[in-house]
Amino acid sequence: MAFNVLVVDDSAVMRQMVVRTLKMSGLPLGTVLEAANGEEGLFTLQEHWVDLLLLDINMPVMNGEEMLRRLRAAPETENLPVIVVSTEGSETRLAALHELGAAIVRKPFAPETLRDTILRITGVNDAEYYGAVPVASDDGDF
Amino acid sequence: MPSTMVQSLSRATTATFEELALLFPEHQLTDEQTAAPLGLAVSVDFRGPFNGRLVLEVSTSILPLAASNMLGEHEGKQPQLQRDALGELANVICGNVLPAIAGQEAVFHLSAPKVHEDATAVSREHDAAQARTEFGVEDGRARVALYVFGDAEAMLAVTGA
Repeated sequence: MAFNVLVVDDSAVMRQMVVRTLKMSGLPLGTVLEAANGEEGLFTLQEHWVDLLLLDINMPVMNGEEMLRRLRAAPETENLPVIVVSTEGSETRLAALHELGAAIVRKPFAPETLRDTILRITGVNDAEYYGAVPVASDDGDF
Repeated sequence: MPSTMVQSLSRATTATFEELALLFPEHQLTDEQTAAPLGLAVSVDFRGPFNGRLVLEVSTSILPLAASNMLGEHEGKQPQLQRDALGELANVICGNVLPAIAGQEAVFHLSAPKVHEDATAVSREHDAAQARTEFGVEDGRARVALYVFGDAEAMLAVTGA
C-alpha cells in the first residue's frame, strides 16, 4: 500500500522537512501534496484523495484546528487519518485536537516517531509494512 | 536570571538541534568555538500570558551543515534555505520553551521567524534577557536568549519564578 499524503504547513522549510522525514522513514509513498494553510488544504482535498493528512496548527488564513473541524463535518473526510505536527504545547488545545480524532507529533520529532504514528493511525500493521517475517524453525541442529 | 528558565531554554535548544538538525551541542566550548563570531541571528516574537522574543544567534560556519541535515545536501548549499532552516530551529525552540516555562495550559501565538544579519538589532540589550544559553556546535557556536517585553511581573505571575 502506498500512502498519498497531504502536508499542510505555512513554513515551506517545515513542509520540506516533513516530506524528507516521510521518505527517510521508509514508508511507501504515493503522491505527496503540499498546502500552506488550512484553506489551501481544503481546496486541495476537493481535487485529490489522500490517505493521510499531516497538519500544522498555527497558520495564517485558516489554522489547523479550523481545517480539522471542517474536515470532520464533511462525510467524505470525517474519518481521514490526521496527524497534527506542531510545536503546540498547550494541553487544552492538544486535547481539543485529540477529541477531533487527530494524533499528535510534537516538533522536534525523530523520523521513527512520525513513522510509528502513521502506522498506528492508518491501521497498517508491521506485517503489511515490513512484509512477512520468517519464523525460525525449532528443529535445527544444536 | 532564574535557573529553571535557563534549564528549560537549554533543554529545548539541545533537543531541537539534536532532533531537527542532527547537531549535538557541546556545553564546554573549545577555544575555536569561543572565538567563532556570531554572524547571523533570527528572532521569533510571541504573545500570550506574557509577551517577548526569542533570539537565536549562530556562527555562519554551522549553517550549511544544519541546513543539509534538515533539508538535504543540495538544499543545504542555498543561502536562503540556510536562513529559513535557522528560522525553523528558532521557531521550534520557542514553541517548546514557552510551555516548559509557563505551564501546559498556557496558549502562546508565535510570529514568523525574522532573520537579521546584525544580531545587535534584535538582541534588545536594553532589556535583560530572562534566560540565555550558549553552546558549541561543530567549529562554531550558538547563543539563545529569551526576552520578556515590558513588565516582567506578568511572566512571574504565570511561572511563579
